[in-house]
Amino acid sequence: MRKVACIGAGMTLFWRRLQETGKEMCWEAASMALDQAGLTLKDIDMVVLGSAPDAFDGIHMKGENLLDGAGGAKKPYMRVFTGGGTAVFTPIAAWWHIASGLANKVLVLCEEKMSSVFPHPQSAFGHIWDPILDRPLKPNLVWIFAMEMNRYMTKHGIKKEDIARIAVKNKRNAVDHPCAQLPDPNITVEDVLNSEVMAWPVQRLDISPPSDGASALVKTSEKVAKKVSDDIAWVEGTGWCIDKTMWTCRDLVFPEYVARAAKQAYRMAKIDNPRKQIHVAEPYDPFDYKECHHTEGLLLCDKGKAPSMTKEGITYRDGDLPICPSGGLLGVGNPIAATMGIKAGEIYWQLTQQAGKRQVKNDPEVGVCQAWGDLMQYGSVLVMRRG
Amino acid sequence: MTFLERSRDPEAHKHWYGDMEASYLYSTGIAGEKFFSTLRDKGKITGASCPKCRKVFLPPRMYCEICFSETKNWKDVGKEGTVETYSVGYVGIDGEPLDEPVVYGLIRFPRTEGGLVHVLSVKPEKVKIGMKVKAKLKPKKERKGSILDIASFG
Repeated sequence: MRKVACIGAGMTLFWRRLQETGKEMCWEAASMALDQAGLTLKDIDMVVLGSAPDAFDGIHMKGENLLDGAGGAKKPYMRVFTGGGTAVFTPIAAWWHIASGLANKVLVLCEEKMSSVFPHPQSAFGHIWDPILDRPLKPNLVWIFAMEMNRYMTKHGIKKEDIARIAVKNKRNAVDHPCAQLPDPNITVEDVLNSEVMAWPVQRLDISPPSDGASALVKTSEKVAKKVSDDIAWVEGTGWCIDKTMWTCRDLVFPEYVARAAKQAYRMAKIDNPRKQIHVAEPYDPFDYKECHHTEGLLLCDKGKAPSMTKEGITYRDGDLPICPSGGLLGVGNPIAATMGIKAGEIYWQLTQQAGKRQVKNDPEVGVCQAWGDLMQYGSVLVMRRG
Repeated sequence: MTFLERSRDPEAHKHWYGDMEASYLYSTGIAGEKFFSTLRDKGKITGASCPKCRKVFLPPRMYCEICFSETKNWKDVGKEGTVETYSVGYVGIDGEPLDEPVVYGLIRFPRTEGGLVHVLSVKPEKVKIGMKVKAKLKPKKERKGSILDIASFG
């Protein structure tokens, strides 16, 4: 396999309702990433686009609708889709385009326009439930998370306040992100614990907001990267894995599928001690307890110990292992697939020392990002190393 | 570019209302047909068992997802299960507050793979992980062969 470089990233503002259409957002994010890479659309061989359910934008076959804003016309172009996992799976798909030798310069786009569905994207999410077994009970999407969070907390004896601290960390981190939807410099654990109870134990401020947004990356072969860029991060490892269809058959306490994806990526990246060899992490954090779940799945701490890492200060930007320095989905926003910008994009900016006020203090050489999705049972993992 | 023009008003920008009209009729499938008819006619909750792995799947599948054998034997899993986890819902699908909180949970049954998600007729302050609950079926003449033939677990 050939070495693959990331040489540019871009993203739009994440916001509840942007004036731009999906394809206009794609064009904005793609233009930023191409500018940073020092390339133009003419240089691009192939385009990979990721976007979650068509039902959000309200356009069936939205990959084709977004095509022109993604710069894919008259080029080998494909859309990939693994639900929320798309955010890290799309750069993985771009990686294999180049690692295989098929392409040298790939533009990677992720888009979501969740405000098209109203009054709330919940009505689209509702259709992911099994039509025969679950939907007659009129489930709310938050149910599934609430039951998983309850099981996780009960099994490990974790206090709600120790999980709320993660929402506080990420929303405060987001203050330094120019694209953030829900930054809050003054938020406290009490604010989270006093927010509206949606489905116990999930409260309003435990959840990331639905957003509109797009993000982009430019990936190239080693030869191209060394010729055009001084700001290179190498893709060192990729992994993905999915658990059983029926969530009633899964382990709700430990995301084994994330651990399997992480092991695949770490093996490729020659990482045998992730806690020592990884310096910055962006696990998927649509809920505060999911950051804990995924930190454990990424094998960055023992089972049930993720909340205490934040309590001890390890996961802050000046800690030993900064986690979600971008501000995460909780703070910057959650335009499903487009969160690539705060996962793979953030790791790229952190490793190349371009994260500005968000820059972590431990001079990171290796970073990992992860996304989670499909029917709440999919993990995608990407490891990068600074050039 | 309009990057920094933020609005919370859904109608602030020029827009066009539309919808994606489609209605659906879903098959319950080979395993579903048997599961729901047994529930309706005999008032029993049944799982499908793999002849090779010996695992009993609930909800039942036509095939074993581990070894891909066809599941031929059906087992009555009983009506009593254990609450693996639960939640108490306070808001509806569009975020509207519910008049009464709804308690629901994942119920596991002895010697089966999986379980059922259902409403629990237990008071929010009484529900606990690990508690035993029993399926409360609707009277036979009201049963239609759907998951709602089970009124609740409690």
